[in-house]
Amino acid sequence: MSTPSYTTHRKKSTRHVPGLSKVGDRSDFSRGIKLGLPIFLGYLPVGLAFGILATQHGFSPLEALLCSATALAGAGQFIALATLLAGGNALTTVIATGVVNLRYVLFAATVSPHLKKVGFKAMSWLGFTLTDESFAINIADLRNKTATQSSMGGVGLISWIGWVAGTGIGVTCSSWIGDPSKWGVDFAMPAMFAALFVTLAENHKHVLTGVFSGCIVIALAMANHFGIAIDSNWFIVIAALAGATVATLAFPHEQAVESGEEITVVAHKESV
Amino acid sequence: MIDTIPQTTIIVVIIGMGLVNFCLRFIPMAALSRIALPKALMRWLSFVPISVMGALFAKEVLLPSTEYSPMAANPGIYGALVSMLVFKASKSFIGSTLAGVGFYLMVRWVFTLMGFGV
Repeated sequence: MSTPSYTTHRKKSTRHVPGLSKVGDRSDFSRGIKLGLPIFLGYLPVGLAFGILATQHGFSPLEALLCSATALAGAGQFIALATLLAGGNALTTVIATGVVNLRYVLFAATVSPHLKKVGFKAMSWLGFTLTDESFAINIADLRNKTATQSSMGGVGLISWIGWVAGTGIGVTCSSWIGDPSKWGVDFAMPAMFAALFVTLAENHKHVLTGVFSGCIVIALAMANHFGIAIDSNWFIVIAALAGATVATLAFPHEQAVESGEEITVVAHKESV
Repeated sequence: MIDTIPQTTIIVVIIGMGLVNFCLRFIPMAALSRIALPKALMRWLSFVPISVMGALFAKEVLLPSTEYSPMAANPGIYGALVSMLVFKASKSFIGSTLAGVGFYLMVRWVFTLMGFGV
């Protein structure tokens, strides 16, 4: 769709503006896949657990796979199972998972200023694959100014593969793998969050904000201990809202790290 | 409490969950990416990632079973520290994740030998 001279021009600029040439896009995509490998590792055992639970309670293997492949909803899928088993009908179940996943609205809003130049078709994939983990990796990469539409798409794809493959293992051959936690895969996600915390904590104000949010989570868990029951699925969103609000008030001179414009994901010119 | 979920319910739930989860993610992304957000909101949003990460870290590392467990007896603390240090040095997510998991397994094994019963 572009003239050859323009292509040459773009090839020259790939180093400085990632994601503009087609070759650059493909390498960005595989860079995204590599970036998302820790997510893949972390999703395998959780997807596996979902596959086992779902098939134990009436889902056929195909239905469990289909559910993971279309919802990609982590905790939401476990909530759905629990709601159904408690006798909930289809409507209450879908609402329950939607409520648990309301935090995606917050994540989507946070990513959105970076996506000004991304077309809706590509964005539908980025939206579909938005999870706690892909959000965290992509936002760190965006802050690093290395993210492109393709790299974010790659992070999404490897996450999706991990979740669906995990479910697939769960519904087929869980019996001869045994407890996956003996391989330590249950710690893949926490270990990745630790690294992500380091990369997102750009200055002491950010460190304080993160520590504050962490303390809110601990406080909420303690409250549970003292009989004030807050479902642990709400911890993240409550702490994130509180942390961001307190930081905005406490650090009035801290400028937004990025003006959305500046590091907008560079989309393929020809595809927008 | 039921044991087996009816088939029609499962099908409806799968379709409904797919739609709801997609809309929750895509609609705000699509709508907000096409308008200029107010400066104040941008500033607020710029603090969201670190807040989310602090919260996720606390929930996954400090509260492995949604119950607070004593710091020193939690092998996750040591794994997380190693992951952070390796990330500082290498800037690699997969490298730091694997190093963190490796150290976590080692500490968990030592704690089991010592009878901490993790």
